[in-house]
Amino acid sequence: MEKLFQAIYGGILYGSIYGLMAIGLTLIWGSLRMLNMAMGALYVVGGYLTWTAFKMWGTPSLVAIILGVLAAALIGLLIQVLLINRLLGRSSFFNAAMIATVGAAIMIESAALLIWGPRVKQMPPIIEGHIKLQGVVIQYQGLVIIAVAAISLALLGVFLRRTRYGLAIQAVSQQMDAARLMGIPTVLTFMIVATIGAAFAGLAGSLLSSIFFVAPTAGYTPLAKALIVTIFGGLGSIKGTIWAAYIIGVLEAFLIVYFGAGFALPVLFLFMILMLVIRPSGLFGLGEIQRL
Amino acid sequence: MIHETAVSDSGVTRIAQRLDPAAGPWAKPNRVALVATILVFLAMPWVLVSFPIGRFALHLIILFFIWGIVTQSWNLILGVGGIFSFAQVSFFVIGGLASGVVAQQFGVSPFLTIWLAPIAATIAALIIGLPSLRLRGPYVVLLTLAFAELVRNFATQGPKWLAGGGYGLRDVPKFGFENLLGPSTGKVVYFYIALFLFGITTYVIWRIFHSPIGMSFRALRDSETYATSRGVDPFRFKMLLFALSAFFTGLAGGFLVHYNGSQAPTILNFSLTINLLAMIVLGGWGTFWGPILGTALLTALPEILRGPLDNWRNMAMGLSLALIAVFAPEGLFPLLSRGFKKLFGRKDKTEAG
Repeated sequence: MEKLFQAIYGGILYGSIYGLMAIGLTLIWGSLRMLNMAMGALYVVGGYLTWTAFKMWGTPSLVAIILGVLAAALIGLLIQVLLINRLLGRSSFFNAAMIATVGAAIMIESAALLIWGPRVKQMPPIIEGHIKLQGVVIQYQGLVIIAVAAISLALLGVFLRRTRYGLAIQAVSQQMDAARLMGIPTVLTFMIVATIGAAFAGLAGSLLSSIFFVAPTAGYTPLAKALIVTIFGGLGSIKGTIWAAYIIGVLEAFLIVYFGAGFALPVLFLFMILMLVIRPSGLFGLGEIQRL
Repeated sequence: MIHETAVSDSGVTRIAQRLDPAAGPWAKPNRVALVATILVFLAMPWVLVSFPIGRFALHLIILFFIWGIVTQSWNLILGVGGIFSFAQVSFFVIGGLASGVVAQQFGVSPFLTIWLAPIAATIAALIIGLPSLRLRGPYVVLLTLAFAELVRNFATQGPKWLAGGGYGLRDVPKFGFENLLGPSTGKVVYFYIALFLFGITTYVIWRIFHSPIGMSFRALRDSETYATSRGVDPFRFKMLLFALSAFFTGLAGGFLVHYNGSQAPTILNFSLTINLLAMIVLGGWGTFWGPILGTALLTALPEILRGPLDNWRNMAMGLSLALIAVFAPEGLFPLLSRGFKKLFGRKDKTEAG
């Protein structure tokens, strides 16, 4: 019973983290049809800026987190404006965008190394203290992360369904040519999407800076996990991504609690490979239309 | 036979002939240039070894040969096949592990075990190719990334004879030329072996580039539907591409493990994959000379720029990747060769090295 409770709590926590990381990837895939490999680096930016604001400038932790999110969003927007916008419409867009974002990721990482040095940083917890439930220690910290993730994902849902810009994003991801004919400014929409995606990665980074260490290369694992989640849920499907984040989070937590941490990653990947073989377009994926 | 399907398919062959008349099996390479290049490479180690930093320079060139093999064969998948596979370094490591573990555990001479490396890598490529080559674009990226992570997990946390408790393979038997012939002459022999492997790989890949098979690979990349309707079986050709590419990569991995005498699992970190990708992209992907040029540049430049600029190396690499993607998506080699042709105004094949 204790183990079960532990696994469920851990799973929801992991799921929240993965959801934040993956939602940006899936949004960007939905409208731009590219993989943003700089997501991991933006996660790192969020973590570092939150740490710097909190430790060096002495701001309250809430302000520090907001600063981290804003910094990541700004850099995401810069990547979009300086690099991706120039690649739009090329026949090799997928490849070129992937390489450009890998280049951007390397630049951000080496900048982080130059500014903050190779030593890992860690934030103190946002809120101290814990409760004990069924013999499982639950940090307030974790509860805050779960709540923030749920609220921000819900807000994103409202934004996408209720606002003009949200509807524009949906229209572009469903049928870009038709959206353009209806007078939707696609490039502006792309920029909004890139900023939102980067902000979510930054949010994940700044929230997690108090659980994990912040280091220049800390972004690779979250990026890899986010890729798995996105593809498991079906690229471009927001509902699928959020479901997949929590399913994979719970699965991983169960594997860790019952079989040990060494088993979690290999089993997860084998599960992924099986999933892709059986259902290549993911949980809620729409399938791909093959074009000449 | 896959090979024969391509050759006997008259349509494919005819296109190949029309596009590339200079490179068919009947074409004679430029003999003078070829012999001169070979002679330069044969003489180079003896000249270099007489300088004080010569042994280090030789080491760098050997590394260039090894990474050159890997980038050339990865370019086959990425550039010629248009398949975004991130499993290349895993094939390299699998090759190294296969040869290293057998040599270490059973005390077999590395000269015999190194042949296990390409075989193991090819089998691994076929296993990962089976599910991933039926997928497209981003799904291939993910599946191969997942495979790379699995291999990394295995190589760091696997059984002790394989992962060495997280430190990778250590104290693998070396080829042992440095003990036999002294450090300088030993290095020269290593240089010749690496040169031989590099030469074989380069020749085979040159043949693939200029053969109906290479044409089929490119046709599948550019329009899978059209290529299929012209009789190119996508699955079989992609499997062949994967197998060929992994074969040479595994061979290079086998050589490196017996050259270094160890294999650290850190080479499975993402940074090496990105470094190799940068070599291909910088040089010009999908072109024959591109990866060679890129590997030479990115092996030599960091050593020349060593010192105060050390911290800026990665920054420069990231920046050049981004710039290349935006301004010169085909890479440096097509750019240079076009500039060269414009300057000298006659059609000639540039020789690298």
